[in-house]
Amino acid sequence: MNWQSIRAIIIKDLSLFSRNQFFAVITLLGLGAYIAIYFVMPSTVDESVDIGIYAPVVPSSLQQLQESGQGLDLVSAESEEELRQGVAENDYIAGVVLPADIEEKFESQEPAEIKLYFTSDTPEDTIEFIDFLITEVAYLETGQYLAVEWQQEILGPDMVGTQIPPRDKLRSLFAVLIMVTETFALASLIGEEIEKRTGQALLVTPMTVRDLFTAKAIVGVMLAFSQALLFVLVVGGLSEQPLIILTALILGAVLVTGVGFLMASLGKDFLTTMVWGVPVLIIFSIPAIGIMMPGAVSDWIKIIPSYYVTDTMYQASIFGSGWGSVGDNLLILVAFNVVFLSAGILTLRRRFQ
Amino acid sequence: MPNHAILAEELTYSYGDFIAVDHIDFDVAEGEILGFLGPNGAGKSTTWKMLTGQFKPKGGKATILGWDIARDAQKVKAEIGVCFEYTNLYEQMTAGENLKLFADLFGIKKYDPAPLLKRVGMEDWEKHRVEEFSKGMKQRIMVARSLVNRPKILFLDEPTSGLDPVSAEAIRRLVLEERDRGATVFLTTHDMWEADKLCDRVAFIDQGKIVALDTPHDLKQTYGKRALKAEISTGDGLRYIEIPLDTDETPEAMRTLFANKKVVTVHSEEATLEDIFIKLTGRSLE
Repeated sequence: MNWQSIRAIIIKDLSLFSRNQFFAVITLLGLGAYIAIYFVMPSTVDESVDIGIYAPVVPSSLQQLQESGQGLDLVSAESEEELRQGVAENDYIAGVVLPADIEEKFESQEPAEIKLYFTSDTPEDTIEFIDFLITEVAYLETGQYLAVEWQQEILGPDMVGTQIPPRDKLRSLFAVLIMVTETFALASLIGEEIEKRTGQALLVTPMTVRDLFTAKAIVGVMLAFSQALLFVLVVGGLSEQPLIILTALILGAVLVTGVGFLMASLGKDFLTTMVWGVPVLIIFSIPAIGIMMPGAVSDWIKIIPSYYVTDTMYQASIFGSGWGSVGDNLLILVAFNVVFLSAGILTLRRRFQ
Repeated sequence: MPNHAILAEELTYSYGDFIAVDHIDFDVAEGEILGFLGPNGAGKSTTWKMLTGQFKPKGGKATILGWDIARDAQKVKAEIGVCFEYTNLYEQMTAGENLKLFADLFGIKKYDPAPLLKRVGMEDWEKHRVEEFSKGMKQRIMVARSLVNRPKILFLDEPTSGLDPVSAEAIRRLVLEERDRGATVFLTTHDMWEADKLCDRVAFIDQGKIVALDTPHDLKQTYGKRALKAEISTGDGLRYIEIPLDTDETPEAMRTLFANKKVVTVHSEEATLEDIFIKLTGRSLE
């Protein structure tokens, strides 16, 4: 390795990066916007759950639950139509219609016909909570569960108690977005070396292709890691398990560097590099969006490499998970890094020859 | 020390089935300027890329200063300077920064670009970004960049192509200065006039093979025709007469010309390198 040459290329690339007005603006705006959005988002969660109800007869157990002050707030509607309207206008998180003969049904232990109204964006876990609530009421009234499949007792109250502030959910999303955005810069820096054939001038000096790629990889990791770290520091994301989060960020930076190499090898110029970059940005954001909206995505997101950055950051920063819990994530991330960097270097090498 | 700076033996390169450079042999002595001439696609750029370590030969071998270009590419690259035909400078960096970057790559510490910029007539532009420069100015920086490491061998690819006469002449002067310093110069060009003026020897390459290699003078002697071209006045206007030299009839033809004709001008006619190339290959360099 010719470290003097590598150092010269790193300094040159950072200098060119800082002189590129497009990337300077995008980086500053992006970083500023992510930090601003983070602080604008609520830092606490309203743990009360407003549920609309239309019931000619309200079961006594339901009244007792409401009076217990466990975050359940029942809002009575005058008619089923009014209830439907209230749900549609987000006055309550859900609406429940209890039949007039519900007490008799409970006593005879026959299934009661209960309608639940939700809006289309009601999270899956909220629906489960309502279902559970009704089942629980039936149990309180009769001492037996209605014929329902779910049996997760106390699920509802526990979820309310452990809800995560939206901005904390955003933290890993923004960190990943910041890193992926830097792949544009890296891919563009490499793409220009190919397009303007400056890479050929570098390679008729004692610098080897390996030295050049090492320098580019270091620049890519530096750009992605430093900005993600800055963001995490500003939003206080290192208060829990800082070593694990730093490790996830470094591995994430290596991952996006490999992706940047691939983008540079596919793109013929700045514009096509951007065209390749946007799908990557979207795909890599999906796992973090899955954290924001539980139930919106399923296990298939685990094929997206950024899942392992996002999940590790989330587990470590929110739940304080240790190396034992996130170790598998980090190992899989290392494997993804090897694959993406190798593929990136192989394809890029062809462009320099 | 080897007595030749560049030695190519059976040097070959192919792109798939197409043989771009076909078992060529040549050598360049230290301090010599060799012109490598040929039309587009003749194989001169491929040869140039092999000698500068950009391509690995598919056959044969070449040594630069005694080092094999395939095995000791990094040693070779430390001792050569390369100037590309196309501009590949960092346009958002200044002229001085471009030269300093390459000085760093060659391991030169505390490099001052000012003297070299002065040599190419760009001393007032050190702190200006390359994107502000004209093509001629950029090409001068390109040549300066190839000289950063005081190379023992200078590879120049069409260094004056498309330049204004002043810039072209400045670069030719630099090439001669480098030769005087002791550097060997490998020059690829289309420009026969330039090759004639600068080169100690020229090689003609066509379809991957070297078809002639000699001094411009000897090439003209060997392949050219020697003749005298006279412009005479006939009363109706001007007419040209060509008298071949080196024949038994030459003395009488000369005597007749000056005794009986009204001679306006007389020029010696010698073949140009272009004429010789066409004669050897059946096609022109363009």
